[in-house]
Amino acid sequence: MSSAAYLVGLGLAGTAALLGAVLPARRRLLGAAVMSSAACLAALVGAGDVLASGHAFSLYTAQVLPLTGVDLSLDPLGAMFVVITAVVGLAASCYSVGYGTHQTPSRTATAMLPAFLATLLLVPAAASLATFMVAWELMALTSLLALLTEHRQRPETRDAAQWYAVMTHIGAAAILLGLVLLATHAGGQSFAVITAHRRELSVPLASVVFLLTLFGFASKAGAVPLHVWLPRAHPEAPSPVSALMSGAMVNLGIYGILRVGEDLLGGGELWWWLVVAALGVVSAVFGALHAAASTDTKRLLAYSTVDNLGLVLIGVGAAGALAVVGEQALAGLVLLAALFHLANHGLFKGCLFLGAGAVQHAAGTRDLDRLGGIARKMPATAVLFGVGALSISALPGLNGFASEWLLLEGLLHGFASHSALTEAALLAGVATLAITGGLTATAFVKALGVGFLGQPRSKGAGDAREVGPSMLAGMGLLAGGCVVLGIVPGVVLPALDRATTAGLADGAPRAVLPGLGLALASVRGAIDPALLVVGLLVGLVVIWGALRLVPRSADLRSPRRAAAWGCGREVQTARMEITATSFAEPLQRVFADVLRPDHDLEVTHAAESRYFPEAISFHQRVDDAIERVVYRPVMASVTWWGHLARRVPNGSVHRYLAFGFAALVLVLVVLA
Amino acid sequence: MRTGAALDVVELAAGIVLAGAVVALWRKDLRALISVLSLQGAALATVAAVLAVHDGDAGLGVVAGVVLLAKGLVIPGLLARVVRADPGSRETAPLVNVPASLVTAAVLVVVSYLVAGHLTALFPDPLTRLAPLGLATVLVGFFVLVTRRKAVSQIVGLLLVDNGVALVAFLLTAGVPLLVELGASLDVLLVVIVLQVLATSMRARFGHIDLDQLRELHD
Repeated sequence: MSSAAYLVGLGLAGTAALLGAVLPARRRLLGAAVMSSAACLAALVGAGDVLASGHAFSLYTAQVLPLTGVDLSLDPLGAMFVVITAVVGLAASCYSVGYGTHQTPSRTATAMLPAFLATLLLVPAAASLATFMVAWELMALTSLLALLTEHRQRPETRDAAQWYAVMTHIGAAAILLGLVLLATHAGGQSFAVITAHRRELSVPLASVVFLLTLFGFASKAGAVPLHVWLPRAHPEAPSPVSALMSGAMVNLGIYGILRVGEDLLGGGELWWWLVVAALGVVSAVFGALHAAASTDTKRLLAYSTVDNLGLVLIGVGAAGALAVVGEQALAGLVLLAALFHLANHGLFKGCLFLGAGAVQHAAGTRDLDRLGGIARKMPATAVLFGVGALSISALPGLNGFASEWLLLEGLLHGFASHSALTEAALLAGVATLAITGGLTATAFVKALGVGFLGQPRSKGAGDAREVGPSMLAGMGLLAGGCVVLGIVPGVVLPALDRATTAGLADGAPRAVLPGLGLALASVRGAIDPALLVVGLLVGLVVIWGALRLVPRSADLRSPRRAAAWGCGREVQTARMEITATSFAEPLQRVFADVLRPDHDLEVTHAAESRYFPEAISFHQRVDDAIERVVYRPVMASVTWWGHLARRVPNGSVHRYLAFGFAALVLVLVVLA
Repeated sequence: MRTGAALDVVELAAGIVLAGAVVALWRKDLRALISVLSLQGAALATVAAVLAVHDGDAGLGVVAGVVLLAKGLVIPGLLARVVRADPGSRETAPLVNVPASLVTAAVLVVVSYLVAGHLTALFPDPLTRLAPLGLATVLVGFFVLVTRRKAVSQIVGLLLVDNGVALVAFLLTAGVPLLVELGASLDVLLVVIVLQVLATSMRARFGHIDLDQLRELHD
């Protein structure tokens, strides 16, 4: 039953891609969107069944791929990733109907979104090296094409696509190398065979395999220093594609680390997982800092993805380390928290990207310094974006709070593990969670306050209109998920528990008790977000009532109306309000060593006297320090070699003949 | 098996082929190059004819005739027409001067003896021991191709390579099939005709047939 539904989902997604390519221009968007929504629903049923029952299914056909055949198998771990993808995909498909209406959608654009979706659904089910690599590369290709769909409108898209293509292919090459090495020594390319022989691998070999695949998967998951493609690709992609990339594709990096590290290699060494956790700590802090400093909405969201995936990596690393030192129960709890956070991240980040896309669609810009006042023009979008922003800032009653609470509980309880190294990693994780929590809140106060409140700072922002119902439905679905999982997280935890058990090499006991709230099974700790929400609401009502009862002073009885966030001034213009740049300025000063903002001050003097400036212009740019320190020198040296190589073929027939002659003689001498 | 006078003749002819290639490096006069080619063609035909008589192979006899006709007469004749249109033309400034070229040729001969050691070891026989001569002719011909500027010298280089290949083929195999030798000879003939037309029109258009000066068109 589950396998049939899953296959139907794949088939429908393929059909949607086909429809997007062949239907006439007017029907194209709707046809593809309806089909891919149906595909997501079918995949949701199939994978949901696997998660609910805990029974994996396997399929094999010798047909599609020559020599190896296609090997599919969906266990609860893979099913969890399929479910996340299906939910985000459903929202993105609904949303894409409204998103593409302002111009005739190209065939590529409408075909690539469902094709990308299909590959995202396929990767977690691949059960052999060949199937996995084909699905992985298809995912890279379709996402690259989907990213490029708006290249005519914005030339920067091409630059972003180049970065993405290079990073994703270097990563794929590393994964391929690692998996081929593994398959050669394990005696087969099917994951089941490799798992059966995992105890026979030597430790150095397994470590090399793990590091190679970690490199590839970490670049997909956007871990620092391999994150450089995210802040370029996410902003330039069409918003449904950004939502899928950030809400579903980066997850597969985490999936890969778990699949290879735990399932195929059997848990391995302690230091592997400490490396993963260290990557997570660096990514989380770096991403959160840059998110707080960004003034471009989608760039902010992209860095926030780096931050959140960093938190998940901390959880995965800590869980792996705890499993190695023999604390299965704690490992299960931490991994459960990490996977829960990953699912929640898919929901709220998908919602935020769709919201940011709606604003860009309506106002024509995603620069926070040129937005403002959007809440009054687009109230529904503002509310839905607000729900996403509050979730990601981990406010009680929303899903971000539930998963971060679980993660914190897991990390704190892990101190009982009696392994000094693990405890140090856990401590670093707890500290990271604390600092990124603050920075994330800052970033989203900025995004909401500067972008949506106050007065419009550009004509586009002033003329913005609410987007259509299909786009609101897409965002509403994800925002609704945030609220439901925030109030009654217990409904998905049993399913996540099964995914966790499948995700650890030696399994894990149940980490949570059944119920609607969060109650830990292996250690003491429980919280009921529903009660918390009720308590908060009661508190608010009490405060509101108390304020009503207090006698009012004369001023309050005849209130003066003024713009919200207008500091109560009579005349308030947009130029007087705080901008995103100025909001982030204190943080930039504090973290100047990491962020290294570039300032550019130009003063033009009046012709008559140098004492009277005519115009002063100030530019500030926050570049990625890692890009500048690590990537620029590499690119410069490649360019230098390229220029050097261009001198070799100079058009002389004799030189070309000489190359051939030298090569011939060289080969002969080597042979002799 | 193959001994006596027949072997002596084959050895002499093979030596003439290599010597011709080295002379082609040494002489700057284009007419001399063409006579060298003609001589090489005759020597090759001799090798084929002696082997044909010795083995009693009629097909190989026909091949010898074709080689004599194509490489000894027709191709040199065509080249001579190109040179006659531009009397007194010489390979004035080769990219590598003559003494250095000759030293290089010596090195190439040594290399080919080293390499061909593997070939002769497969089937030790007085004939196969001559294979390095053919290989050396190929390398020297290639060297002419790389270092000489005039279009005619380049054609000569190409033909030297072809002659070297033919010599190796005669010596190492039990005789080249008629069809293959015919095909190869006609191929080379065609190349020479094309190059002749090209060289003639080059001279008509630019007033010279110096390949290096063509680079100005590229810039």
